[in-house]
Amino acid sequence: MALIETENLSFTYPSGMKPAVEDISISIEKGDFVVLTGPSGCGKTTLCRCFNGLIPHFYGGKLEGNITVAGYNVAKCLVYELARHVGLVFQNPENQLFALSVEKDVAFGLENCGMPRDDMRKRVDWALQMTGIEELRERAPHELSGGQQQRVAIACVLAMQPEVMVFDEPTSFLDPLGAQKIFEVINDLNKELGITVILVEHRLDLASRYANHVIVMNEGKIVLDGEPHKVFNSERARLIGVGIPKATRLYQILRENGLKLSKVPINSEEASQFLRKILTHD
Amino acid sequence: MSVFDGLKFRKVSSPVHNLDPRVKFFFVCVLFVVAVMFFQLLPLLVLFFVPIPFVLVARVKREWIRSLKGASMLAFIIFFFNFIFNYIYNEYPNIPSASLIEYSVAMTLRFVVLVETFSVFFLTTSPDLLGLALEQSHVPYEFCFAFTTAVRFVPVLADEAQTIMDAQKSRGLELERGNFLKRIKNYIPILIPLIVSAIRRSLELAEAMESRAWGATEKRTNLYVLRLGKTDYALAFTSIFMLVVAILVWRFVPIPPLSVILSFLQL
Repeated sequence: MALIETENLSFTYPSGMKPAVEDISISIEKGDFVVLTGPSGCGKTTLCRCFNGLIPHFYGGKLEGNITVAGYNVAKCLVYELARHVGLVFQNPENQLFALSVEKDVAFGLENCGMPRDDMRKRVDWALQMTGIEELRERAPHELSGGQQQRVAIACVLAMQPEVMVFDEPTSFLDPLGAQKIFEVINDLNKELGITVILVEHRLDLASRYANHVIVMNEGKIVLDGEPHKVFNSERARLIGVGIPKATRLYQILRENGLKLSKVPINSEEASQFLRKILTHD
Repeated sequence: MSVFDGLKFRKVSSPVHNLDPRVKFFFVCVLFVVAVMFFQLLPLLVLFFVPIPFVLVARVKREWIRSLKGASMLAFIIFFFNFIFNYIYNEYPNIPSASLIEYSVAMTLRFVVLVETFSVFFLTTSPDLLGLALEQSHVPYEFCFAFTTAVRFVPVLADEAQTIMDAQKSRGLELERGNFLKRIKNYIPILIPLIVSAIRRSLELAEAMESRAWGATEKRTNLYVLRLGKTDYALAFTSIFMLVVAILVWRFVPIPPLSVILSFLQL
């Protein structure tokens, strides 16, 4: 069985007239790196909240269909139980750090779980090391830059050693370089620790190179779901207004003009490789 | 708001900063109680000098003096009212006596002692440690959390207020215009967005807390633990000693007014 499975999942907020997400059926395997994208307001964040039980437990509202995450039925499992298996990193780093030192913030979840102090110390050190922020441990979160704050937020979630980590637009408050660093950290977590990653992102040029599974949403529904090259090359993705990688767009333009590359590229390395091949052939 | 500048904490390490906040708080309370016990100038003058070595060791002289400067206006008002009302009530129409002036100065000094000790306490105690001290004193964790979070978000909200003020000003809002009531009214377009955004922020915070297993166990653990060291015990004993001496003096030793001592010295 897949790590995350949803079946005809629909959810309506208590104040909503129509469902925020509708008829979602997806399955995500263990170890996947999923990029979830789509125009603003299409229900990506709502879906993220379903993964760790904030929906329906925190928000109320009407949940229909089935969703299981790491073997738990989300509708019946409390948020704090799910929190040990699913970590959620939010968009605004400022509003997810509450302590007055980085270290204490990273320990927050573990303290809540009642972990003994010595074990906690080891976990905190490990999480700080994995995210490369050991030297910030004594600093106050509000003194840090956005990129550093977001790495602290990742460390906070990582310290709980979840099987799944969900990132809800973690880079939207960051500059390109900061975003790049965050993606690298996320990629390391996925490749080295085998954590299943779900990344909600608009910056597909940067994010898509790490993904092996892309899901595109629009107006609360799943539009495309599958392997990145296929998804990005589909006409629909472009028409919805998803910022498909420039390499893929280049491929499409070249094809319209009669030049067909051997494969669909999704990042600049691939594009240059395929182009070079064609140029040397001629 | 320069009074509050003296209450802002800056992270540095010194023997005073490293003292246990519980012991430090006890010490402050003792000073507080002793200051309220006496109304004569001499003991209050002694009390005035007690926090000064702490200020020097902690190297927070600048901030400390700033907080005293901030309090000087209030101190002056206290002196003024004590003096005027006592004079009208007791001695009018004679010229004011030395003892009246001394009494007013003593009352003012009492206030200054309170301000300076609290200022030293807040300048040298990290809010984090303070929260921890509350927690280890068996205050329910929800309260401790609310306290540290409040402290954590003060600078954030201040920034936000500034942003909103700039935004509203750039749309033509004039804050410094009109009479007193009008000026207060001017701040409504600042307050409403600030409150709305604070509520939004608190919802996001709640979400983040939930996602990090808030309330998972009854028995929460803590990364840090406060332990009393040698200097902590030393300060605790000093405080108790001070309290005992103060009570004995208060009970058994008549304290002459300063004017009497001065005239005695002149002879």
